[in-house]
Amino acid sequence: MPILEVKNLSHSYGGNTPFINDAVSDVSFGIEKGEIIGIIGHTGSGKSTLVQHLNGLLKPTEGEVLLNNENIWDNPKEIRKVRSRVGLVFQYPEYQLFEETVYADIAFGPKNMGLAGDELDKRVREICKMIGVKDEYLEKSPFDLSGGEKRRVAIAGVMAMRPEIIVFDEPTAGLDPAGRESVIEIINNYRAATGATVIVISHSMEDMALIADKIIVMNNGKLFMFDTVENVFSNGDELRKIGLNVPIVTRVFDELRGRGIPLPENVFTVKRAVEEITALKAGERNA
Amino acid sequence: MLRDITFGQYYDCDSVVHRTDPRAKIVLLILIIVFIFLAKNIFALLFCTACVFAIIFVSRVPIKLYIKNLKAILPILIFTAVINMFYGDGGTVLVQLWRLSITTAGIYKAFYMALRIILLIFVSSALTYTTTPNDLTDAIERLLSPLKFIGLKNAVHTLAMMMTIALRFIPTLVEETEKIMNAQKARGADLENGNLKQRVKALVPILIPLLISSIRRAYELAEAMECRCYCGGEGRQRMKQLKLRPADYAVCGVTVCCCAAVILLNIFL
Repeated sequence: MPILEVKNLSHSYGGNTPFINDAVSDVSFGIEKGEIIGIIGHTGSGKSTLVQHLNGLLKPTEGEVLLNNENIWDNPKEIRKVRSRVGLVFQYPEYQLFEETVYADIAFGPKNMGLAGDELDKRVREICKMIGVKDEYLEKSPFDLSGGEKRRVAIAGVMAMRPEIIVFDEPTAGLDPAGRESVIEIINNYRAATGATVIVISHSMEDMALIADKIIVMNNGKLFMFDTVENVFSNGDELRKIGLNVPIVTRVFDELRGRGIPLPENVFTVKRAVEEITALKAGERNA
Repeated sequence: MLRDITFGQYYDCDSVVHRTDPRAKIVLLILIIVFIFLAKNIFALLFCTACVFAIIFVSRVPIKLYIKNLKAILPILIFTAVINMFYGDGGTVLVQLWRLSITTAGIYKAFYMALRIILLIFVSSALTYTTTPNDLTDAIERLLSPLKFIGLKNAVHTLAMMMTIALRFIPTLVEETEKIMNAQKARGADLENGNLKQRVKALVPILIPLLISSIRRAYELAEAMECRCYCGGEGRQRMKQLKLRPADYAVCGVTVCCCAAVILLNIFL
């Protein structure tokens, strides 16, 4: 049974005005516990609108969102509980920091859940340890940190609520390569420690290939594809039709294959690519 | 939702009123308001009403929108009318409340005052509906430009630039506020429930990030402006020159004639 199920979800902005605009229309999918799902799609394809339904920030115009088989809007008064079970890390989450210390900011979410005292302290310190926020940072002002560190703290603020499902909207946007890697590491650490289900929106096909099990492709508010990474990236032509592409390394391999070099298909990560090329070279030398 | 808040209420369509020079519109608006209050008798006032409705009609903005604006000041309107009812001099006494009395003259006065306020709202709405906020600030800058002769050389331009920037950033900040609210809600912030104190406290996680991002934006904007050699009002030219065209003179002429008519009606009827 899927932990999270979206059924025929539609959302249109601008209710009764003439500017009615279907941001998401008739989207259905199910996500199993512990999976890592990537969401890709060009700008304005409805990705962000879609994920804001998963924790009840937006109410579907039509359709429903089922969390553990329960419609999250069955009891609108309890919607805040859903928000601590489905964590949502927005784009540029560092812009939401506001407390005087890093510690207080990370504690904001758990505090809103009603935690206090030792339990709260334990929660904050646990999450800091898990994702590598050093103890000496805790008493600093979040505004004194560097960009990458701010992002880490902001993500910790959501993770401290211990959501079963955690959604990231472009977690690596605007970071340098080292920052990107560390964010991906944080996501992996959190998942390893809690067994959480992860949903990541990204424009980077490389990141997707690196972390996702399955990929949802959105196009013009509709679900275009929902399949394993392998199957999605094997459909390069389909992706290009809607303004997306396969990872760069896959394109390089396609090109090389076109020139007669015997390389396999379905190579999506740089790591795999290095292995394949090394193997090919070793084979040539032996021959 | 927040995004429904509109600032400045420009209604986009094409009409004589839309095309009229914004400076002329502001001056004429003041003129018309003065004459609405100068109109002494019922004929003059009815003539003003007719003129205002004529403006509404040519502006091609739906009358519904004008009435919407009226609703906002309904309490003030009723208050003024009621107060004025007790201030009529002469006429037959209709109701006597202790030392206050409502007379027929009072009723007339209340009616005049209410009608004047309604016209005032209509005619100023006609300005805001037909002029973009940017045109308005431009016009205000030009109209205030004589102030530079009394030593306020840069102040007028600076003020106008500040107004333009403020107007430009309202939608941006609204969007930003929405984003931050959503982000804090996703962290379990409760913005809808609680008593007054709790609600005010709940605003802190929204206001601080908003303030910080506004300051950041201000720095970025200032830098971007300096990169494009912005150095204040001195020697600055405009892409859109305000120029009075024959049609603008015609509009002014018609309005002045109407004002003269109000004076004549005041004297002879």
